[in-house]
Amino acid sequence: MLPFTSSGSKVVPRHHVSGYSNGYPRGNTFEISPHRFTPRGTTPISRRRKRLFVRLGIVAAILFLFGLITWNGGSVLSVLSLGLLSSSDDFQLETVRYYDLSNVQGTARGWEREERILLCVPLRDAESHLGMFFSHLRNFTYPHNLIDLAFLVSDSKDRTLEVLTESLEAIQNDVDDNQHFGEISIIEKDFGQIVNQDVESRHGFAAQAPRRKLMARARNWLLSAALRPYHSWVYWRDVDVETAPFTILEDLMRHNKDVIVPNVWRPLPDWLGGEQPYDLNSWQESETALALADTLDEDAVIVEGYAEYATWRPHLAYLRDPYGDPDMEMEIDGVGGVSILAKARVFRYGAHFPAFSFEKHAETEGFGKMAKKMQFSVVGLPHYTIWHLYEPSVDDIKHMEFGDTTGQWEQDKTKLQNIALQDKKEKEAQAEKKAEAQPAAQAPAQGQQKVEGKQEGAKT
Amino acid sequence: MARPLGPVRLKKASPVTLAIGAVFTILVLYFLIGSSAPDFSASRKASAASHPLSPPTSPFRKSTGGGKPKAPPVAHYNLNNVTITSDPLGNRENILLLTPMARFYQQYWDNLLKLSYPHELITLGFILPKTKEGNAATTELQKQIAKTQKSGPEKDRFKSIIILRQDFDPPLQSQDEAERHKIQNQKIRRAAMAKARNSLLFTTLGPATSWVLWLDADVIETPSDLIQDLAAHNKPVIAPNCFQRFYNTEKKAMDERPYDFNNWQDSPTAVELAKKMGPDDILLEGYADMATYRALMAYMHKTDGLRQETVPLDGVGGAALLVKADVHRDGAMFPPFSFYHLIETEGFAKMAKRLGWQPFGLPNYKVFFFFCLFLLGGRMLLLTGR
Repeated sequence: MLPFTSSGSKVVPRHHVSGYSNGYPRGNTFEISPHRFTPRGTTPISRRRKRLFVRLGIVAAILFLFGLITWNGGSVLSVLSLGLLSSSDDFQLETVRYYDLSNVQGTARGWEREERILLCVPLRDAESHLGMFFSHLRNFTYPHNLIDLAFLVSDSKDRTLEVLTESLEAIQNDVDDNQHFGEISIIEKDFGQIVNQDVESRHGFAAQAPRRKLMARARNWLLSAALRPYHSWVYWRDVDVETAPFTILEDLMRHNKDVIVPNVWRPLPDWLGGEQPYDLNSWQESETALALADTLDEDAVIVEGYAEYATWRPHLAYLRDPYGDPDMEMEIDGVGGVSILAKARVFRYGAHFPAFSFEKHAETEGFGKMAKKMQFSVVGLPHYTIWHLYEPSVDDIKHMEFGDTTGQWEQDKTKLQNIALQDKKEKEAQAEKKAEAQPAAQAPAQGQQKVEGKQEGAKT
Repeated sequence: MARPLGPVRLKKASPVTLAIGAVFTILVLYFLIGSSAPDFSASRKASAASHPLSPPTSPFRKSTGGGKPKAPPVAHYNLNNVTITSDPLGNRENILLLTPMARFYQQYWDNLLKLSYPHELITLGFILPKTKEGNAATTELQKQIAKTQKSGPEKDRFKSIIILRQDFDPPLQSQDEAERHKIQNQKIRRAAMAKARNSLLFTTLGPATSWVLWLDADVIETPSDLIQDLAAHNKPVIAPNCFQRFYNTEKKAMDERPYDFNNWQDSPTAVELAKKMGPDDILLEGYADMATYRALMAYMHKTDGLRQETVPLDGVGGAALLVKADVHRDGAMFPPFSFYHLIETEGFAKMAKRLGWQPFGLPNYKVFFFFCLFLLGGRMLLLTGR
């Protein structure tokens, strides 16, 4: 910097290293300015004009850009914040979704692999059961964020929809994040009342086929509206299950079967025998039933538990041993709808709840048959039991009159047939009147009483 | 001597540098602010779902902000309000256009873009096998989708698009023609096709869809009013007649010929044949040793016939097919097994009938199939087999 301080110089430096020319101490600072400064003259007019143009250009460009953004619906704020602070209504639309279905096959340990479950619940006038159902829901040990809920509310006259919405919103706004579920859909669809609601026609044998077909339609509508490409499992659960293990999803999943159902019983007051098999729709096919099916009309539906169709099938419900191994599996052909865990793949490939007579069965029993036909494994757990709600109903009073509640299927069968014959005689006159209105295949059965306890997975 | 305060200008910037700087500043600003590149109209934004866990038939708002994701909302869908009428345009009904795709044809995509039905009401669904060919088709498809959805004009952009990859391996395609056309192999092939169709259908059929249009990936030419024209008939299931333009070597000119033989009316012979079959056997169209004498819609075409003429059908093909969503919701699917000795789309027609929905066909309303000399193999044999 200071070339004059060479040691060999005899000339006294003009500026001393230690100070400015004005005598102030220099210190250790670094100085790059020239020693002499010549102020610039005024800029030529041409250059000034050019600069003005450039500035004007920049201002115009910024104004144009600003105008473009605000005019297209963006807020002034979003421009000022340079898009870094995005307000709530500032979002991008995502229109394309890509899914690889081989990632959602369903495995025995789904909770570890973050497999999503679709929980389907068909509802109809179910307000009184919702409280109980939601307590079950909150207690599920399967990670809630992996469970998507889908409800179908149809033809309800009570406050089912309102109560359902309130309960679900309460869960999603829970302070505990672990309670929050995944996608929640409430689907409303009224199918219209095909069957009269009086007890006689609702539980009469002839009413069963249309009723089951209607239930099947409801289930299919729910499933087709709620199944997504990211689901690995589908769990069907009835709203009126009273007692079930909190770990039921994991317990059923561990078996790694395509379709699996637990045993469904219901508690009874002591004077009725303490307990009773409930879901008779889970069964193994029998030769008798196959032979019977061949004799029936194309649209006929075999319904278990009615004396008209003595199928002699082994029922999951009757094979229960309270002390048996809960992991024991049994191959079945028809399934009940109270609690079904199935791999989503089963439904993706097309298995559904036939709303027509599929091999002489409809709804959940038809689903079991169809899944079998598609070579899926369908199993029941005879010693793993969940308990259905017990409501003293007209059925039960009738059931009491008939007495037997020990659950001996063979004994029941003979009794049922006797009772059915008796009833038939009593109501013959009535039956003949109605016969004209009934389809040919079902006409002889008309007027008979339902004699076994409540059978269907389907309740009202 | 005092030095004036202020910075010292060592080198003067030229106006060119300034201009370049300004341009860069503007670009940076543009990308910072205007990064939400595809702009959608307010109505489209309003109909978007608020959470990624939502029916894929509508787009969702991708949150640009960080923070903890909120719990998904409780969504209500009233299916009583989903209309399915002969005037889908007037009632703004949603269409789900489904295509199982093995190869991508540019003409197919161009034809889709030409559809005159408002694209903001059309959701596209594709399913592709996970094979080398399927991967190539997916890449091609995604390229075209990005072009349309991101940078195309808004009227061309579809409401949403779903791409699925199959979770099962397609049956081995033997190169030997005779092997490929053995009935047993046909059954396996069509069962796989049925599974692909069902997978696509049941995962995408959301709560808002009114109509499902099945369009094969090799249908490359349809009237642009296809959706309106087919829906106008207000039938549960309706199939146009599928033809192919080809180079007629005898006439030395382009010509048309019937192509899809799965649209038919049943015959007593076929019913008798079915009765004699085992429970898992299927009845196929186009095999000489299994002459069914069914009335094929392909041959009902009259050049001077009315375009609106409809005929009831007992079996349908999947090349082009408009189905009311309610038919599928009731459970009508493509059986991957022998259903009344029928499989896939033909079985679907039977199942729809079992559920009380009658399929129809339009013999004089034509859509066209892809033509390539090297690809003729398969279906040609079906033609000559009769």
